[in-house]
Amino acid sequence: MKFAIKKCIAWGDGKTCLEDWQAFANNVSIQAQTLTLPELKQIPAMQRRRLSAFAKLTLHCALTASDTYQHEIPSVFSSRHGDLHKTSKLIADVASKEALSPTHFGLSVHNAVGGLFSIYTGNKAPLSAVSAGEDSFFMGLVDAVAKLHTRKYKRILYVYSDQAVPEHYQNYVQQHADNIAVGLLIEASDSVDNYSIECVGHDNVQSAENLQLQALDFLKFYFSQQQQLSTCSKRYKWQLTRS
Amino acid sequence: MSDLSTEVKQLIIETLDLEDIEATDINDEEALFVDGLGLDSIDALELGVAIKKAYDVKIDGNTDDSKKHFYSVKTLCDFIASTRA
Repeated sequence: MKFAIKKCIAWGDGKTCLEDWQAFANNVSIQAQTLTLPELKQIPAMQRRRLSAFAKLTLHCALTASDTYQHEIPSVFSSRHGDLHKTSKLIADVASKEALSPTHFGLSVHNAVGGLFSIYTGNKAPLSAVSAGEDSFFMGLVDAVAKLHTRKYKRILYVYSDQAVPEHYQNYVQQHADNIAVGLLIEASDSVDNYSIECVGHDNVQSAENLQLQALDFLKFYFSQQQQLSTCSKRYKWQLTRS
Repeated sequence: MSDLSTEVKQLIIETLDLEDIEATDINDEEALFVDGLGLDSIDALELGVAIKKAYDVKIDGNTDDSKKHFYSVKTLCDFIASTRA
């Protein structure tokens, strides 16, 4: 499947601007890798107060990548864990028989941040939320590109985000504890900015999960001069090619 | 009464993440919702749960009575005080 990436906005631990990501791609990043949060000054304070760190990272990338198209662009939001910090606090409240916070409940569902995006921008275009284990980044991208083609959209917004899981879940996740959000403005392929994604194998590809998040594999590839990214997960073998 | 009022204001600020607002910024008689403090319907639900938890009072859903009780800090305090009497 071919497509063009017109814009790529990413926010991660210690990496918030183009220069940071280029340095990361060239393995020269040396600054502290702690997470700062985007300010999101464009969102009124009364709406912003309810945004978790997860929502802030995701919305920053969604709004910046879609920019002038944000009011009508269709979108796909993907995340492996979603806002697990919020969800696990709710589960703890259930376990201790506390009354649940209606706000936290409403904002912990998997499509909550997509919902916040559409409310804030007044965007009524189709929006979906994807989760696909360690393949969440690539599966979400496949979903976005497939929708672009089958619906003959001019462009689509793809947003992926994940946070390090809460402490008591860390034993169950092999991947490095990174915080990351990526927003891509995707259009049908043209003469420049072209990419093609292929799933070149599946079933028992390897026995363990990759330690690095696919989104970071992608960003390293995108901001470098490499022609091809090949990466495996437990179930799939992915290939992304620049042309 | 004024102790309760400060307590309720503090509860409102903490429950609803009103980061830039202090208890002294909230007027006892002013409307909490829409005008005045500018809270919305999600805040109403959230505040209902918090008041219920903190003061063990019973609140009947979306009735005219509960709307009156939740009009301002003063009406809320009167309501809490009345359930204790």
